Amino acid sequence: MKILLSYLGNLKEYIIFSSLVVISLILIFQNDNVQIRFVRVIAVNVIGTIQNGFSFIPNIFELQRENKSLRETNIDLSKELSILKESKLENLRLNSMLEFKQRTNYRIVTGKIIGKTLIQTRNNITLNIGERDSVKIGMPVITDKGLLGKIVAVSSNYSIAQILLNKDLKVTAKDQRSRVDGIISWDGQGKVRMKNVSKSADVKIGDVLITSEYSNNFPAGIPIGYVTTDNTLDNLFKNIEVECFVNFETVEEVFVLKFLSDDERKELEKKYNEKTN
Amino acid sequence: MKDYLKYAGILLGLILLQKTVIGFIDITEFQITPDLVIIGLVYFGIKKGKISGSIAGFASGLILDIFSFSFIGLMALSKTAAGFAAGFLHDDQKLERYLNSYIFVIFVSVCSVINNFIYYTFYFQGTNLTVFDILLRYVLPTTVYTAIFSIIPVIFARKRRFTR
Repeated sequence: MKILLSYLGNLKEYIIFSSLVVISLILIFQNDNVQIRFVRVIAVNVIGTIQNGFSFIPNIFELQRENKSLRETNIDLSKELSILKESKLENLRLNSMLEFKQRTNYRIVTGKIIGKTLIQTRNNITLNIGERDSVKIGMPVITDKGLLGKIVAVSSNYSIAQILLNKDLKVTAKDQRSRVDGIISWDGQGKVRMKNVSKSADVKIGDVLITSEYSNNFPAGIPIGYVTTDNTLDNLFKNIEVECFVNFETVEEVFVLKFLSDDERKELEKKYNEKTN
Repeated sequence: MKDYLKYAGILLGLILLQKTVIGFIDITEFQITPDLVIIGLVYFGIKKGKISGSIAGFASGLILDIFSFSFIGLMALSKTAAGFAAGFLHDDQKLERYLNSYIFVIFVSVCSVINNFIYYTFYFQGTNLTVFDILLRYVLPTTVYTAIFSIIPVIFARKRRFTR
């Protein structure tokens, strides 16, 4: 017996440790016990109150995490907002174009500008429509605001148009109010001007200029712009500066009018000119 | 006896700190915190031996269990094991060396691994986490974080020794 007790005495550390482990395991399996739950409720209330007292201390890591998460959310929302804004603007543009499409008498093809030069003396735009969309050389290009230019080159899927800011494009125009005629062209230095208007002609600042029926390239009545300056150039002609209705820098969608010049008229005019010369 | 009461007071203080302030310095997405109680427990275990370490571990673990939302008995079990392991390091001749040098940090790390491994393995039973996940996400980060904190008492002990 003595030996046994002595042996157990040597093992007392392990016996106590094992007992504590067993008690712990029993406690684990007794977790649904009502008394234990009651004690825990009181303890949690106590600790909750104490923690509440410390809640004024900022948790740096938590703040960092929150900050990072908020920044990510901010970026996502900014992206979404940008897409929504873009969609809204596109919607407004397309609505305006749709209205124009409904009120115009000409057959039209809708296209998108995919290339643009605005810094040269001969500026052009490239459209994503071509022969497959029945686009032909000479067809006028317009927007819902007014005249933009005319098609000068076509491939099966793309086309190039000269715009009003091109020295080579000349448009026979008319003052909508006084019916005075002239030729609108770009001076290559930043101004669109109406030329060949006599000094005595009735043209006032603010008058709207439209395409003339004398033009064989454009149908009559397409708005071009309005008069901004009216000076006398020399003894004979006026110096009329024109502000175009179309904003060449921001325009994105265009219409190509399925309008081609009248060949018979062209031929007749050509013959007469040859005869008189 | 006075000595035991002093250590009991220290452990209670550490438990209180653990359950109140330490939550504010959690790290990683798994909210890892240092275990101050294990530092006190290892100190106590080295100083007083296996039996005292086991009992202190059980008692402090049980108090932590009561103040937590997990299983009652789980922290008691893991802390008992850690306290017992710390008791193995009890050696009257090397006491000063163990407690006043950076070996203490290694001891804390070892006991912390034992404690955390038992605790988290039981705690995550029935979830999809593998033992490797538990080790990587909880056991090792908690151990490292605790080990870093265990440097503080060593620094104080060394300072005290040098000023003496």
